Amino acid sequence: MEHVNNEAMNTEGIDPSFWRGLTQPRFSRRQALTASGLGLGAALAGSMGSATMAGAASSVGSKSWWKSQKLHHTLNFANWPYYIDVLAGKHPSLQNFTKQTGIKVNYFEVIQDNASFYQKIRPSLAAGQYTGYDIVVMTNNNPQLGYLMQLGWLVPLDHAMMKNFNKYAGPLIKSPSWDPGNKYTMAWQSGWTAIGYNNKKVKNPGDSVDILFNKKYAGRVGMLSDPFELGSVGLLAIGVEPAKSTESDWAKAAKKLQQQKSDGIVAAYYDQSYIQHLKNGDIDISMCYSGDIFQADLNSKYKDLTLLIPHEGAMLWTDNMCIPKYAQNPLDAMTAMDYFYSPVTQSVVEYYNDYICPVPAAKQQLLHPTGWNKAALASLKPEIGLPYSVTANSNVVFPSPARVKASKPYYNFKSQTEIDAWTSLFLPIIQGA
Amino acid sequence: MDQPLPTDHPGSVDHKRRLTALRKRLPPYLLSLPAGLWLLLLFIVPLLIMLSITLKTCSPASGVCVMTWNWGELPHVVNLYHPQFITSLVFAAIATVIDLVISFPIAYWIAFYGGRKKNFFLIMLLVPFFVSFIIRTLVWEFILSNNGIVLTFLKHNHLAPSNFHVLGTGLAVIAGLAYNYLPFTALPLYVALERIDRRVLNAAYDLYANRRAAFMRVILPLTIPGIFAAFLLTFIPAFGDYVNQEILGGTSNTMIGTVIQNLFLIDSDYAGGASLSVVLLIISLLGIWLYARLLGSRTIEEYL
Repeated sequence: MEHVNNEAMNTEGIDPSFWRGLTQPRFSRRQALTASGLGLGAALAGSMGSATMAGAASSVGSKSWWKSQKLHHTLNFANWPYYIDVLAGKHPSLQNFTKQTGIKVNYFEVIQDNASFYQKIRPSLAAGQYTGYDIVVMTNNNPQLGYLMQLGWLVPLDHAMMKNFNKYAGPLIKSPSWDPGNKYTMAWQSGWTAIGYNNKKVKNPGDSVDILFNKKYAGRVGMLSDPFELGSVGLLAIGVEPAKSTESDWAKAAKKLQQQKSDGIVAAYYDQSYIQHLKNGDIDISMCYSGDIFQADLNSKYKDLTLLIPHEGAMLWTDNMCIPKYAQNPLDAMTAMDYFYSPVTQSVVEYYNDYICPVPAAKQQLLHPTGWNKAALASLKPEIGLPYSVTANSNVVFPSPARVKASKPYYNFKSQTEIDAWTSLFLPIIQGA
Repeated sequence: MDQPLPTDHPGSVDHKRRLTALRKRLPPYLLSLPAGLWLLLLFIVPLLIMLSITLKTCSPASGVCVMTWNWGELPHVVNLYHPQFITSLVFAAIATVIDLVISFPIAYWIAFYGGRKKNFFLIMLLVPFFVSFIIRTLVWEFILSNNGIVLTFLKHNHLAPSNFHVLGTGLAVIAGLAYNYLPFTALPLYVALERIDRRVLNAAYDLYANRRAAFMRVILPLTIPGIFAAFLLTFIPAFGDYVNQEILGGTSNTMIGTVIQNLFLIDSDYAGGASLSVVLLIISLLGIWLYARLLGSRTIEEYL
């Protein structure tokens, strides 16, 4: 996403400076007057708020800016639903964070999908106002994270505060292609978009994405309604690595997916609800998110659901924590983000979560807890009903080197024109009559 | 040099006459001012704003729209989404006809045989619709789901094949539309039937009309404005509806309302969404114009 530059974002025929003027907050005449008024007042009175001075002098996210920030002992954290440890309606990892740091966390499970959440926070960002959240979690396989970066709507992270991250972050998410050097983001969790099937109904699944295109399962196959997921699996099916694909590959993939639809193979294009349909037996095979299948398997009722990582590879997506601009509590946010990179913390989150853990060292903490996680894990155990070793040894949570290798990155869009080209190919398949 | 007094001079006879004429002509305009302002602020201005958005180019990233006089957007989206328009037209038409068929006997019975309990029956008809629109539709999803009560019963008794499903099909969407918009059909029909002068009916019988002839030649013609009003009141909202399709429908029966909702709220394609909305509005206005043309504008205020 880093490649998406301002110039490429322009719609044809519009002066780039005009776009910048419209999209970036400017030092308005009125602000300038206020500032000079303050300066005058300061000169006369001989005293002045140093914080205001520092805030005006250094740009957001710079070293001096971070230095001028203070802890407010409060944090507003927006995340996706069911994405953090839960015990009796509370979150042990966050409770412990409050105990350790004195920072009270307001945790909001408000993100249902990237596009509509982006639309909710955008008006505040465009107006130069606090979105209400100090941390938001955005996925790398949608354009919105890139939009936030390139419009300058994220606060560059304070690397001096990333002690746990620098020590424990795993190779899959350290300095990733969508955010080189972790300038703006730290991964929350990752997962594969792979294939889930019912092993009672599907006897010889093979190890290929072709199973999604097999006429034998006509009307029993679910596909995901996210155009970026759908297009990527289409590319894998025609034997092209999505990250290295070209626009003509996209057209071929779209044709293959259109054929799959007109052959009556696709039951429907689902959002997150696919897992319910898979559990209900409405469909036998579906594109899926790895963690969902793992969690379903834990329930004896749904033991039949199996995860398939095809030999063509599975798309690896990552949900990223980032600090939206104008956040009121950036220092509290930074503290929390690094807190989640402690293996002790991550062991508790992962015991509940079952997605790919950003901290490989959490495995040892799950097997042999040494800190506050000992009590937290013990209290979670009756709820989850699994030995810690099942999570610790799961190839879905702590992937084997072979699985790491099978993980495919998404295509990095270089311009809005490319994004439009992609969606105009794949969206009609999902929405079309 | 004797200059004649200007005729406009205050106090001149001509001026006074003009003022009286103005005073006579002005009141109708002044009296319609509140309604006119209402129409201007809540209909014409928003409409013009929407029309202007169709000519703009919007950035999906920043959401900023810039006027580019892009006349191509409207034909582009109509070309892209005309199948969904057709689906919407067909679904809304079928649902409306179903509603007319179901609610005519109900309205007829209440109007002619309801007696003193007419109001009670009317309330009974409306009570289910006091529950929120979304919740009612979600309950339908629950009832019609593959493991729901209806299909489980049918399949268990071999009344339907095991792979039979309703949810996700056009049938489910039409059923949802018909259910949710039923009162919009029933009430205008009731009003039309209720106001029929019973003496006219008695006159028909006096002239040796049998019940069938009396219905066909007296009652039905007198209810036609009501039927047309019911049709418009049901068809127009059903045509633009997206909730039923979103909850009960599948991928092969996307309606235009769903497309507009996605364009606005997910894809940030404001120009495309506005263009489709304009087309939707034009089709709706055509319906109302047709009504006014065929049945006169007086009946609009009586039934709509």
